[in-house]
Amino acid sequence: MTDVENPEYPNLEQAAASELATSDSGTENDTIAHDHGGHEGHHTSLGLSNMKLAMWLFLGSECLLFGALISTYLLSKTRFLTELLAGNPIVTESIDNEELVAEMIAEGSVEPLFDIPFTSFSSFVLLMSSLAMVLAHHAVVNNDIKGSRIWLGATAVMGSIFIGGQIYEFTTFYNEGLTFDGSLLGSALYTLTGFHGVHVSGGILMLMSLLFVSFKGRLNSDRAETVELVGLYWHFVDVVWVLIFTIVYLIP
Amino acid sequence: MAADTTTADVAAHDAHDHAHPTEKSYWIVFAVLAVITAVEVAWSYLGLSGLALVLPLILMMVVKFAIVAGHFMHLWFDLKIINGRYFMWTFAAAIVLAVVVYFIVFATFEFQI
Repeated sequence: MTDVENPEYPNLEQAAASELATSDSGTENDTIAHDHGGHEGHHTSLGLSNMKLAMWLFLGSECLLFGALISTYLLSKTRFLTELLAGNPIVTESIDNEELVAEMIAEGSVEPLFDIPFTSFSSFVLLMSSLAMVLAHHAVVNNDIKGSRIWLGATAVMGSIFIGGQIYEFTTFYNEGLTFDGSLLGSALYTLTGFHGVHVSGGILMLMSLLFVSFKGRLNSDRAETVELVGLYWHFVDVVWVLIFTIVYLIP
Repeated sequence: MAADTTTADVAAHDAHDHAHPTEKSYWIVFAVLAVITAVEVAWSYLGLSGLALVLPLILMMVVKFAIVAGHFMHLWFDLKIINGRYFMWTFAAAIVLAVVVYFIVFATFEFQI
């Protein structure tokens, strides 16, 4: 079969060749459905796992979602600050904290609202969780079951710490007088960071599911691509926070 | 001839399978990311304003983005493979599209188009 020319689907020939080269038994159909070394599903007519391609397309669409949210935040913040500095009473009274409003006007920015050292710590934890995620994938590829459980658990714990930090931050914002429906700034900020938090929470659920599957004894190198897909999602969430941290928190 | 081709393909495929980064490289990349993050935060405390503040921060942000997407998400490695095709450009294309679209949105607000 490997010597048969098939110009329409050349990758199927490669798939069959690869399977014959790496396995003592199995059919062509097996080859397409299963790969070796934790790369199951690579051999499609596209030459790329359908699941992986779907995940990348999904992440591409997520770029547009977060692009819209970040743009909305920037536009809303600029509008808020312009009106605040112009002394528009609707805006100055939209935050129920005169001291904070006075600081914002004095500095001409929304920086007094943020606790940069705290958010820096949260960002660092999320960054560390990305490292734990790649190490979890690395462990699964190498059939290191114990290692994969440790790193998957560590990723979930660090994600939870980040979410805990965000809840604390939201509570602080609220106590400082910034409400979701009180001002343009509040709406945009809560929506952007809240959407990101929901994505992190979704990632934690995926990680917990992987841990569950692992403790059921079904997470080994044959399922490495599943871990890779969750990893892609997790790193994307991390990469979005890289943008949010700089654009929202560090650039006043 | 066909046999030669398929052998080469198998070799290329296997080369891909072993082209993934090592555990050590992940730790090194993480250290680099941590240092950049520390520099970012420190930079924001220097009391700079305007482009002197924003430009380096944006640059560091882009570098961090590229490192995470490229190394942790294997984009640098996957871009080079898949039977000579570049499906991973879908992600890069989405980013470029997103940036262009939002610049246009900003322009409509700025210039009241």
